[in-house]
Amino acid sequence: MAANQITVKVDRVCKSFGDFAAVKELSLTVRAGRVFGLLGPNGAGKTTSIRMMVNITAPDSGSIELFGRKIDSELQNRIGYLPEERGLYRKMKVVDQLKFFAELKNVRGKLLETKIDEWLARVKLSEWKNKRAMELSKGMQQKIQFLTAVLHDPELLILDEPFSGLDPINTELLKEIVLDLKRSGKTIIFSTHQMEVAEKICDDICLINRAEKVLEGSLRELKSSFGRNSVAVRCEGGDGVLDDPSLVSKVVRHVDEVQALLAPGANAQTLLHRLVESGATIGKFEMVEPSLNDIFITKVTEHQ
Amino acid sequence: MKKFLTVVKREYIQRVRARMFIVSTVLLPIIMSLFGIVPAIILNIDAGGPLRVAVIDETGKMYAPLEAAFEEEKSDEQATQQASPEPGMSNPTGRNVPRVASPEFALTEVKTEGRSAEDVRAELEQKLRTKQLDGYLYLPGDFITTGRAEFFNNNPGDMWSRGILHSRLTRAVRDQRLTEAKVDVETRKDLFKGIELDTVKIGDGGQERDSGGSFLLVFGVGFIMYLAILMYGQVILGAVIEEKETRIAEILFSSVKPFTLMMGKLVGVSLVALTQLCIWGVAFATFALYGVSMLMSRGIPAKIPNIPFSHYIYFGLFFLLGYFIYATIYALVGSMVTTAQEGGQLAMPIILILVVSFYLFLPVSRSPDSAFSFWVSMLPFSAPIAMLVRIVTQTPPFWQIALSLLIGFSTVLLIMWFASRVYRVGMLMYGKRASLPEAWRWVRQA
Repeated sequence: MAANQITVKVDRVCKSFGDFAAVKELSLTVRAGRVFGLLGPNGAGKTTSIRMMVNITAPDSGSIELFGRKIDSELQNRIGYLPEERGLYRKMKVVDQLKFFAELKNVRGKLLETKIDEWLARVKLSEWKNKRAMELSKGMQQKIQFLTAVLHDPELLILDEPFSGLDPINTELLKEIVLDLKRSGKTIIFSTHQMEVAEKICDDICLINRAEKVLEGSLRELKSSFGRNSVAVRCEGGDGVLDDPSLVSKVVRHVDEVQALLAPGANAQTLLHRLVESGATIGKFEMVEPSLNDIFITKVTEHQ
Repeated sequence: MKKFLTVVKREYIQRVRARMFIVSTVLLPIIMSLFGIVPAIILNIDAGGPLRVAVIDETGKMYAPLEAAFEEEKSDEQATQQASPEPGMSNPTGRNVPRVASPEFALTEVKTEGRSAEDVRAELEQKLRTKQLDGYLYLPGDFITTGRAEFFNNNPGDMWSRGILHSRLTRAVRDQRLTEAKVDVETRKDLFKGIELDTVKIGDGGQERDSGGSFLLVFGVGFIMYLAILMYGQVILGAVIEEKETRIAEILFSSVKPFTLMMGKLVGVSLVALTQLCIWGVAFATFALYGVSMLMSRGIPAKIPNIPFSHYIYFGLFFLLGYFIYATIYALVGSMVTTAQEGGQLAMPIILILVVSFYLFLPVSRSPDSAFSFWVSMLPFSAPIAMLVRIVTQTPPFWQIALSLLIGFSTVLLIMWFASRVYRVGMLMYGKRASLPEAWRWVRQA
């Protein structure tokens, strides 16, 4: 798949429920073979946007294209969707559920059986194949739900908060699978408000807040355009310097170091100079990229 | 279409495999037959001994016929219990005495022997108080002409005994009056001989005998429909809510259209209902055939009602229509609510409509060709029963039957479409029950 191919194109889409505008004039493009992070605080309109992409609701205005075609129910078979609101049939066996969900994507037959076995082995749930969903732990159920989204080998995978409630080991397991899928050329839309996770797996991001797009682009470019205006410092003494508002606009104290956001117009050299002057012992002084979390908070606060 | 079948298959297999299905298939007939048997047993429980009744007979002629009337009734009862329940035979005299074991009476005549009536009554009342007696009957001297008697007892709430006493006394006084009018026993028998009324239907092919078999079938179809709705309406409601409660709905809607999902569920559950009804039907038919062959072997003719083949097809079609019309309403209710309990309350009026349309049976059968009958047989909710009644009484032109079916099944689709829209929008706004105006807004919004 060529890198410049576009999998999803959302063009000036609006959706409101009664008087409440859930999505306003949203435009975005998701390139094929990349992990696209749809980020935003709770209630920003992420889920509504995704529902329109998978043809669950129709936009009030604007258009959505998938694989270069206007979205319709036929295209739904090429999407794997793991919604935030998800569950399983409690009394149905794991294997029957997986089969059912795959058949609803028009995948059936012998091959499906082997595929189910493969995937169950991959998420380490093979021995649970013939158990009812109600006998599974919450984490196991989540892995099964994840499988319902990938089993039919979709070209576009949409994951809405896929790791919420999972322990670190299982989170890592699923993250690996997502990255594997990306490597095999799938396009992945990943919606979350957990910035640390998004930072690790997203190529591109789109930040929405209060129904509007705030930011869109490749994560790398965004970070560098934000500039290196943050310094990680580990030192003894020199506290007065870090508290000077003309130099530092914000200080975040971690366990063993301090992260200082430079005030507008200030520069790192001056800060270092002043610290040395004040007689502080400096263990570490490093320019750092802003974290996605910083960008997120800055942008969302600006927008409000 | 494949997705529709996938939904149907899941719904069907999951439900038929469930323990509940197997248990209810076996248990329900047992429970039903218990419902038939237990009340009869309870009514036959004789809590006390016979009712001790004293009779003061001032006419001097009434005690003997009254005693005779009690005796006769007893032998009549035994006779009817042995006879086959052929209509027209069971109740030759037309008295409306309930056919359960009548409380026994122990009658004693109290002679006045020169004492005044007041004295005797005072003595009997004393006995009543000390429970040596359960009641006494006072027949004044002019009883035969006035027909006025008094019954004193401790338990005026016992309507049952009072009714029986009343009917026996009526019989006794009638017999006595006839005796006084010099009507002999033979004449009397001839006078009271019951009649037989055969209903003969004039069909297109001349005269056909029709002993109400078709009517019975319409009634049967209506009853089975009622039963199926009562049992499976809630199941459909639950099936529609299932995905909301388990929060699977959104995953499903990324694969299948709400309408397909709803139709799949409706059809799947209905096939389960049909399976269960068929199991019962086959069991019942085997039973009935066995019964018929038993009767035949004893030389009692068992008639299979003479019903044209086309009627059986209509019975099937209108049964399905009736079932689906009401089942879809349950689906619609399910689409509006979030829990099964809520749904149960909202579904109550459905049963009411069903019962009302059942009673339309009467006016429609009285004048099947009237404008009223035409309209109720077109209205989807009442059509299944009303049209069947019309078909077995005066078969309406084919276009009317076809139109009625067309309107009915279109309504089913329309309601399902409506329900699927309400469902989709309702699902997207979790935890909220839709009021009717809201549901309407959702339909336009989706």
